[in-house]
Amino acid sequence: MTSKDNCRYELRTAIRQLSDRCLYSASKWAAEQLVGIEQDPAKFTPSNTRFQRGSSSIRRRFHSNEGSSTPIAGISYVSTPVMEEDEVVDGDFYLLAKSYFDCREYKRAAHVLREQNGKKSVFLRLYALYLAGEKRKEEEVVELEGSLGKSDAVNQELVSLERELSTLRKNGMIDPFGLYLYGLVLKQKGSENLARTALVESVNSYPWNWSAWSELQSLCTTIDILNSLNLNNHWMKDFFLASAYQELRMHNESLVKYENLQGTFSFSNYIQAQIAKAQYSLREFDQVEAIFEELLRNDPYRVEDMDMYSNVLYAKECFSALSYLAHRVFMTDKYRPESCCIIGNYYSLKGQHEKSVVYFRRALKLNKNYLSAWTLMGHEFVEMKNIPAAIDAYRRAVDINSCDYRAWYGLGQAYEMMGMPFYALHYFKKSVFLQPNDSRLWIAMAQCYESEQLRMLEDAIKCYRRAANCNDREAIALHQLAKLHSELGQSEEAAFYYKKDLERMEAEEREGPNMVEALLFLATYYKAQKKFDEAEIYCTRLLDYTGPEKETAKNLLRGMRIAQSSFPSMDVELFPP
Amino acid sequence: MRMREEEIEKLRGVVRDCLSKHLYSSAIFFADKVTAFTEDPADIYMQAQALFLGRHFRRAFHLLNASKIVLRDPRFRYLAAKCLEELKEWDQCLAMLGDANVDEHGNVLDNKDHSGMYLDKDCEDREINIVAATCFLRGKAYEALENRTQARLWYKAAIKADPLCYEALECLIESHMLTCDEESSLLSSLQFGPEDGWLPSFYACLIKKYDKENIIEARFKELERETFNSKSSDPSFIRTLKTNTDLLACKAEYYHQCGEYQKCFELTSVLLEKDPFHLKSTLVHLAAAMELGHSNELYLMACNLVKDYPQKALSWFAVGCYYYCIKKYDQSRRYFSKATTLDGTFAPAWIGYGNAYAAQEEGDQAMSAYRTGARLFPGCHLPTLYIGMEYMRTHSFKLAEQFFVQAKTICPSDPLVYNELGVVAYDMKEYNKAAWWFEKTLACIPSPLSEMWEPTVVNLAHSYRKLKMYREAIKYYEKALALSTRSLSTYAGLAYTCHLQDHFTAAITYYHKALWLKPDDQFCTEMLSLALMDECQNGMDPKVEVC
Repeated sequence: MTSKDNCRYELRTAIRQLSDRCLYSASKWAAEQLVGIEQDPAKFTPSNTRFQRGSSSIRRRFHSNEGSSTPIAGISYVSTPVMEEDEVVDGDFYLLAKSYFDCREYKRAAHVLREQNGKKSVFLRLYALYLAGEKRKEEEVVELEGSLGKSDAVNQELVSLERELSTLRKNGMIDPFGLYLYGLVLKQKGSENLARTALVESVNSYPWNWSAWSELQSLCTTIDILNSLNLNNHWMKDFFLASAYQELRMHNESLVKYENLQGTFSFSNYIQAQIAKAQYSLREFDQVEAIFEELLRNDPYRVEDMDMYSNVLYAKECFSALSYLAHRVFMTDKYRPESCCIIGNYYSLKGQHEKSVVYFRRALKLNKNYLSAWTLMGHEFVEMKNIPAAIDAYRRAVDINSCDYRAWYGLGQAYEMMGMPFYALHYFKKSVFLQPNDSRLWIAMAQCYESEQLRMLEDAIKCYRRAANCNDREAIALHQLAKLHSELGQSEEAAFYYKKDLERMEAEEREGPNMVEALLFLATYYKAQKKFDEAEIYCTRLLDYTGPEKETAKNLLRGMRIAQSSFPSMDVELFPP
Repeated sequence: MRMREEEIEKLRGVVRDCLSKHLYSSAIFFADKVTAFTEDPADIYMQAQALFLGRHFRRAFHLLNASKIVLRDPRFRYLAAKCLEELKEWDQCLAMLGDANVDEHGNVLDNKDHSGMYLDKDCEDREINIVAATCFLRGKAYEALENRTQARLWYKAAIKADPLCYEALECLIESHMLTCDEESSLLSSLQFGPEDGWLPSFYACLIKKYDKENIIEARFKELERETFNSKSSDPSFIRTLKTNTDLLACKAEYYHQCGEYQKCFELTSVLLEKDPFHLKSTLVHLAAAMELGHSNELYLMACNLVKDYPQKALSWFAVGCYYYCIKKYDQSRRYFSKATTLDGTFAPAWIGYGNAYAAQEEGDQAMSAYRTGARLFPGCHLPTLYIGMEYMRTHSFKLAEQFFVQAKTICPSDPLVYNELGVVAYDMKEYNKAAWWFEKTLACIPSPLSEMWEPTVVNLAHSYRKLKMYREAIKYYEKALALSTRSLSTYAGLAYTCHLQDHFTAAITYYHKALWLKPDDQFCTEMLSLALMDECQNGMDPKVEVC
């Protein structure tokens, strides 16, 4: 791992350069990581470092005490030289433009810089134009809203931006920030390959721009694409890979990366939140809860990623904690999409689905590409039996990110409810492809194959078998497998699964009609196999139940006794009709 | 009292000065006195000029007519004819100019001696050949009499008689009297003076620009190299025509034609800042603003134009453009029609008129507008092309093809015509031919492709699909997607191609994308259901099973 001082030095320079270019979120990210770097224990007394984690105020204090640290060259990492700024060229106009930009007057900023040739000025002008276009686009979306916020609005500046940036690039006049913007423009235009190339170039020459990395990550939809990228081995690449692995559902690989990074950035809230995210995907809800509790202690006004925390609380049905969280984010900033989402979850848990939808809608008004809000809103619509609206919401979700297995599953469910198993099957397939170890998805798929319209029992069996292999909590798969096999006259397999199901029910101490069914089948089966001892055991157990099965068991027992007593003369009446 | 010669000469000087200071009444007063003293034909001519400039056309004509010399000197005749032109007495104007014949190449068959007998040359070093002026006036008279064939011949004769007679060339170009080939052969037949080396290149930039991009760009480059070296040898004093408004307007026109509307708009905006009512720039600016949907810009332009030039067709054309841009086609038609009544030779208004009908699918009216356009502007292939498109709309493929072929003879190098020919071939199920035309189209347009040509790429992909060349089809569909991701037809085509190859999952994905753009598309909905069933019948995806 590269030296901490070195990272610190690089990040400090980068923060200044990024905020000079008004790349706010990248500079915020960099600053968070800078503060997240562990202090060198040699420089500080152990008592100080012990407090570091608990109290952010102490941490901040001794950061300001720290003098200038001399950079040490990286060891195993490629050291990218810190970029030099040419201050001479960017003059007073730049300062004016930057002020306009900070006041969100993008067009005005761009106009001021129209004849400036400094690299910083050129970038700021183009970026301002881009944001002006984005702003206008957002407004247009609100003005001309189609169904569920669907609209044809486009960023009007894209065409001219693309032309100018490609010319700059051709002439070799483009800097890493320009390349980032170029990648952004290309991505929005749908030229993903070109966008990736531009972004790779950008991060290779200037690795500290997290926004560029995240754009790049959003373009890595398969592991092959990720592996094909030709990236320099800078320490920022580890952050990128960790995040990319996570999106590609390689949660364990991602966790390993993050844990490595924690060696240097031990107090990074970002890394903690990311780890929580990975654990959430691995459905380790207790761990996630613990991490978030700590995060909130350190950073009480954090809203980012808190929606995930609320999902965990929702899944665990922690009413009071969710209510506390909802009130807290509401007071912090009620008009953040995350806040609205948390409040939506809160109402949903209370069963107030209409109210919940209102808040999800608000979250989406604030950020219409907010993936989980679309999915969650879809769930709410399903609860409210408004299937068409649910389908629309899920579709928006998969349109934003086609790797969201929850939305695909939701779509499948919705179509199943509409009695369209062909459609449902397709969507379940999509979700199962993304999340192959989730028994619920396999069961849903199997049920589709079982439906009246399809009746593809063989395929249903395959699906149930997969479900049974992956930790089927509700234990539907075994029972269904047994039932299907018996329906297909494959009594041997049926007996195998009934027995397994029975064992499981015994282990979990569950009783019910499934138990009766299993016992009855096994009794009949073993009797037919002439294994009267086993058959007798099952029959005896059946006698504990009331209802027609008890009578059947009695008949079976009687039949067996007769058969055993007059063994040689076997006859047909042994089998009750 | 007798006036001395030098006193009279002084008085002549006063008249000339009054004319240059636009004090016409004074000029007329003194010229009359000079004539009274001298009776010299040259002085009569001067008096007639003064009267003409003072807009006393009838008096000027009478003065010239009364003097015996009118038929003897071409200048007298010309001025007399000019008066008749102003009085709109066209037949008499032609009669005044005398009989002459012109062949189809614009060569005047007239051996009469035209050298003036009475008049010295004006003090200017160079003058426009009076023959050229006469020919031009004949052309105008014929045009006013709606004899456009004769008008065209006489305009050609005018520019041939003197290449500096720019007005004739302007008329030929603006009213689309010549086809591309005719224009360039006319230019090559002109005989320029040795000192006008730059002029042929400039003229070459003015004519139609449907040639290959490198030829056009070479033309501009050549002209930009032309320098004017004033006496000082200091290189910083070298001025070129690079920033000349006329030239840049031609360039803007070229950008517009290439579909580079943004570039075009930026250029014309600069030009109009320099020269606010440069007519050609204004026209191109309007067209570009319309393509870009800058309705606000159009509104302001239209208001200003109508205020300052209420008599110009261009002003009302601008109003029409504004309404067209905001999709109020009824109003837009009204103003386009107003523009055509003000100036029947204003081609853009006729085409706009047709387009405004076509936008509301009123084919018959649109076609009648286009037909007028085609009749009035034989050198412009667009009306013919649009008529063909209207026939396509009504599925009269044979007729449409005829018109496209006709458009191609007028303008053999416009890729848009090739595209339409391809579309016709496609609709007549001649897919090989269609693919050939689309390939030709794409070969003709400058790369990298702009979004404007996305339909052609999709068309080519459709043709390949019909030819069962699925791999090529998919390649071109993907190319089209790189240009635009909002086309239903691309996604539907791509989905169907995948479906035909039994790639059901991919097909389903693309059907979904298509339906996302247009949720009630019947073809895609039905095909999606089929694909889903096919996928299901195929059993479980092996990929899902192993993972």
